[in-house]
Parts: sequence; C-alpha cells; structure tokens
Amino acid sequence: MPPPPATTDAAGADAPILVATGIRKRFRRVVALDGVDLALRSGEALALLGPNGAGKTSLLTILASVSRASAGSLTWRADVAPRVGWVPQRPALYPRLTARENLRLFAAMEGAADPAAAAQRLLVRTDLVDFADRQAHELSTGTVQRLNLAIALAGEPSVLLLDEPTATLSPDQRRRLWDWLSALRRDEGLALLFSTQSVEEAAREADRMLVLANGRAVFDGDLNHLVGADVNGGRPSVEAAEEAFLRLVGTPA
Amino acid sequence: MNAVRLFGKDLTLLRRSPLLVALLVGYPLLVALLVATALQSGERKPSVAFVNLDRSGRTVLVGQRRISVEQYAQRLASEVDLKRLGPAEAQTALDDGRVSAILTIPPDFITKLQAGGLAAPTITLVTSRRDAIQGDAIARRLQSAVYRLNQQLAASYVQQVAALVTGTIAGGPLQIGPISGHALGLVPSEKIVRSMRDDFARAGQAAKVRQANQLLNFIHETALNLGFARQAATSLKNPVQLDVTEGAPGREPLTAFGFAGALLVTLALIGVLLAAAALSSEREDNALVRLARGLVSPGALVGEKMAFAAAACVLVGLVLLGAVALFTSLAVGRWGLWLAALLLAGLAFGAFGVLIGALARETRSALLAALMLALPLLFLGLVPGNEAAHAISQLFAFGPAFSAFQTLLVEPTIPGHLALTFGQLALVAAVFGGLAALSVARRQRT
Repeated sequence: MPPPPATTDAAGADAPILVATGIRKRFRRVVALDGVDLALRSGEALALLGPNGAGKTSLLTILASVSRASAGSLTWRADVAPRVGWVPQRPALYPRLTARENLRLFAAMEGAADPAAAAQRLLVRTDLVDFADRQAHELSTGTVQRLNLAIALAGEPSVLLLDEPTATLSPDQRRRLWDWLSALRRDEGLALLFSTQSVEEAAREADRMLVLANGRAVFDGDLNHLVGADVNGGRPSVEAAEEAFLRLVGTPA
Repeated sequence: MNAVRLFGKDLTLLRRSPLLVALLVGYPLLVALLVATALQSGERKPSVAFVNLDRSGRTVLVGQRRISVEQYAQRLASEVDLKRLGPAEAQTALDDGRVSAILTIPPDFITKLQAGGLAAPTITLVTSRRDAIQGDAIARRLQSAVYRLNQQLAASYVQQVAALVTGTIAGGPLQIGPISGHALGLVPSEKIVRSMRDDFARAGQAAKVRQANQLLNFIHETALNLGFARQAATSLKNPVQLDVTEGAPGREPLTAFGFAGALLVTLALIGVLLAAAALSSEREDNALVRLARGLVSPGALVGEKMAFAAAACVLVGLVLLGAVALFTSLAVGRWGLWLAALLLAGLAFGAFGVLIGALARETRSALLAALMLALPLLFLGLVPGNEAAHAISQLFAFGPAFSAFQTLLVEPTIPGHLALTFGQLALVAAVFGGLAALSVARRQRT
C-alpha cells in the first residue's frame, strides 16, 4: 500500500480533507481502476470526467464505502469528520415512503439524536418542505433527485459524492440543483466530488477536473491546465476544453 | 438497531400496498384451499372393492345380535363406498384405479366368530400404492369402523356371558351359540340340598348332614362368586361411557392432514414470497447502496427480512388456527408450541426467500423464482410414503414444518422428535440465512 499523503498534522485550511492513494479495483479479469490518486479540499468541487467505462462510478462507490477497493488507501484530515454523503445516479430511497419518512429513516440510521428534527432541517435545507408528506414516487424527477441529495446530507457529511447527478434532469432542474450545491459549498464548506460526462458542466461547476481513461487518472488540474493554454484574462472556451478532453482520453475529436 | 428501523419501514410499506397484501395473503390462501380440498377428497367415501370369500351363508348369534357377512359389510359401508366384486375383478379394478383398495373377508369369517372370540377372524385390506393419501385415509376409516364393530361384538359377548352366569345362578333356559337347554341353577339346587339335609337330620344321619352342609357351602360360595363375575363382566362391557351431545350444524371439519397441508402451503408461500420481495425490493429501490455503506450489515439485513417474513407467518398462522379452532371440530391447542412452530417455520421459509431475493436481480424475477422453486418443494413435502421426496423435503423447511404441524394436530402426547423437528427448522433457517448473508455481502463487495 502506498503511504498516506496526508498526515494528522496537516490540519491547515489548505490541506486536503480526503486523500485517496493508489486506488485499484479489479473485477475478475477486468481492471476498472489502476492506481488512481486524488485529493479533495474543503469547499472544493472536483469533477470526475471520463468516457463510459473509464472507472468514474467505481472510484465513487469505493470512496462512498459502497464497494471495496482491491488496493489503495483513504486518509482523512484529522480535524474533519470522516463522513461521506453518497448521491448515486439512480435515486436510492423508498418510493412508497414520503419525503419526510425517507429523511427520518435515514437520519435515524445515520445516528441522528432526533431523527424527526433532523428530517425537518433537511427538508428546509433542500427546499422540500412543500413535498414533505408526499410519497417519493409521486414527485418529479428533479424533486426526487433533490430528496436523494437530502438523504445524502442526513449523515452530516464533510464530502458529498455525486454520480452524474444531473444526467436525468432538464436544464432548469440542473441549474437549480447546482445552485443548491454551490450554496452548500459556500455556506458549509462541503467538498463535492461529482462525475459527469459533460465537459461543459465540469468546466462550469468544478474548481478542478480529474480525467479518467481506462481506469487511470490521465489529468488532474483546472480548466486552464486542461486546455494547455495560457489564457490571458479570460476563460477557455468549452469547445477548447472538449477538444483537450477528447485528446486525453484517446477519442478523435 | 437499524435492522429494527428497517423492520418498521417494511411494515409501513406493506400497509401502504393493499394489493400486495391481498396477493401475498389471498393467493396462498387460495392455493391452500385447493390443497385442502384435494387432500380432503381422501376423506370422502372412497371406492373400495369388497371381496367376500365366506360363502357359507351362515349367521352367528352373539348375544341378541345375529351377524352375517352381509350385515358386517353394510356396517363397513357407512365409512366407504363398497363395490362387491370377485377377487380377480377386484384386483383389476385396483390396477385400473376404479377402486382405491380391496377389502377381503376370509372363508372362515363366520366360523371364527362362532368360536366366541377364541380365534379372531382377520379381514385384509390392500390399498393402492398409486394413491397413497387415499389409501391412508381408507385404512384409517376402516380401522375405526372395525374398532367400533369390535366394541359392539365385545358388548354382545359380554351380554351372552352375563346371561349364562345368570342362568347358572338362578336356573332357567340357556343358550350357547346354536345350542339351547335348561339349567337347574345354583339357587334352586341350594333349596333342594337344604331340603335333603333336613331329611337327613330328621333321620339321624349325621354324616350325610355334614356332607350336605359342605355342599351347601360350596353352592353358596359359587353363587356368590359368579355374582361378582357377572358384575365384573358387565362393567367390562362399558368401561367408560361417553355422553355425546351434538353441536350446532357447521361446515365439514378439515382433517388434520388436510389442514396441516393447507397451513404449510399458506405459510410457506407467504414466508418465501414476502422475504424474497422484501430483500429484492431493497435492491430495486437502490436503497441497498445506502444500507451497504455500513448502516446495516448483510447479516442484520438478512435477519431483519427473515424476522419480517416470520412475523407475517405467525400472524397468518394464528388467524388460521383460531378460525379452525372456532369453526371446525379439529382439536387445536398447545398454543405455546404452535407459536414456536410458526415462528421457526416462518424464519426458515423467510431464509429460503431471502436467499432467492439476494440472488435475483429484480423483484419480479425474485418472486417468479421463489414461486417456481417453492411449489415443487412444497409438493415434495406433502407427498406421503415416498422416501426420495421425503428426503429432499427435509433439506428445506417444508418437510420439517409439515411434520411439526401434523404432530401438533394429531399426536395425543408431545413426542420427543418434535424438539428434533424444531431443531431442524432452526438449522435450515440458519443455513439458508447464512448463505443469503454471504450472497448479499458478495454483491456489496463487487
């Protein structure tokens, strides 16, 4: 196992709160992840980019403790509660329970002292109060995704892991979701790690991008580094970012 | 603790799905009704070939009863539908399935009855191996009929003995089988001897007086002893008397076998289907990816689903038992043992269902697989007399559960093997539950 890059002394504001080192995942003969490293800072948004099968979901599920890595290590900063909120691409909740019941159940399971109060706080926090007593299967796709996000927040996480959170949402739902997520980052210092297939979304919402291809990290940096350009006083265009991404993952532009 | 919360969630979800509840309870009940009806057909009058090899045409008088083979057959016919056939015809009818058994009256039937029970005549019953359930029912019915007839014959024999004793003591006409005559009797004999003794005394024949006194003592004691013997014989005739009061008319009661089968089918389908659906729906709802993050261990998750299925089985089982106890004549008691049996059977059914739910990818396929696997295994559990079927059913919960239900319904005392059966159910639950937990854990790891 590689040594952990972050130590318990590194509790400065800029020190990563979560460091993953040499993460490997093997499914029988297939290597899904081949020694991926990443570091995530408080309040930072890191986008995981990569084509289908690159290993994005595998990496997220390992970080979320849903599945186990074949090798590698995770290290948390000493002053941070090692708690991860998991927002899978397909909502993970009980459709026949109301939004409030879902939140109360998961808050209780996450150890909330007063699950009912915790559920009420989450409903307010994610603007779901109007839908609190409706069963999840009666809600719109966007609202269900918000409930999915609210459940992930039930454990008071330091890091939120989102697997293509906007894949099934309409543009307006997507916008509203990112507004909430941005507020969470800003107000609570929550770190976000999200996977996406959209270079545009990654460029717009993330501080940094980690590009995966064939289970390996082929790029870790910001948008300027991705396009490889010295942009004088302006943001690189989305087209330039997409071209750079396609070059990285080996797909012709 | 989180498993308890999941249990509460499952109850809430079940309450909110009336259609699912109706299907989960209604369908097994419907199947159980069909099974009970099929099993009860063995309790209706089955066809039995009646072969009479006693061609003597004689009757035997036992007490006041005159018995012929025909009369004997008529009494048995109240239990089964007798078809009078020759030996060869009867065998052909049995082979063709037109009758379920052959009842044969031996050539010496009346002769042996005439012997007054010194050599009991033996009637033989051959049942069909093709219809074991029916054969079992016929054997039980005829055993019961023969027992009742034996009781009546015994009463007649005792009555005859009592009449002989009375005749011997008091004197008068006597009849032993076909032979009749007149007995002097001990009481008249005593009078005669007393008169002779008085004559001897008057004649001064002291030696003869002593002899007459000895004879009088003997006659007196013999009459006294025979009097005791008559009382003893009369009390033997009816050792215990039963006064039966007919209750209000109701539906025909389920037989123990039929009800045990119906209970097995109902609970097995409820337990297996509910557990399979409960676990697979965790995956279908995608909630398993949250639970897998250390909120609930695979063992606790499997245990919760098993407990959920067991609770449903206990509830439905107690309702069925209560209904049977209230509305039929079937004896239901031993509620503590029933509770244990229902709980263990429910856990074992649940473990089997959870394993299927853990292996299936979606709820629909889990339910289909559960149904397709449970039905043939249930059938094997219900087939009596087939060793291979019995052995297979013992590997799953169905065989031991059926055995426990039958024991609690029919055994007059609790046999030691009930504890063994309970242990077997617990073992089956543990093994299948363990396999299910391994399967869930394996899926979580990948």
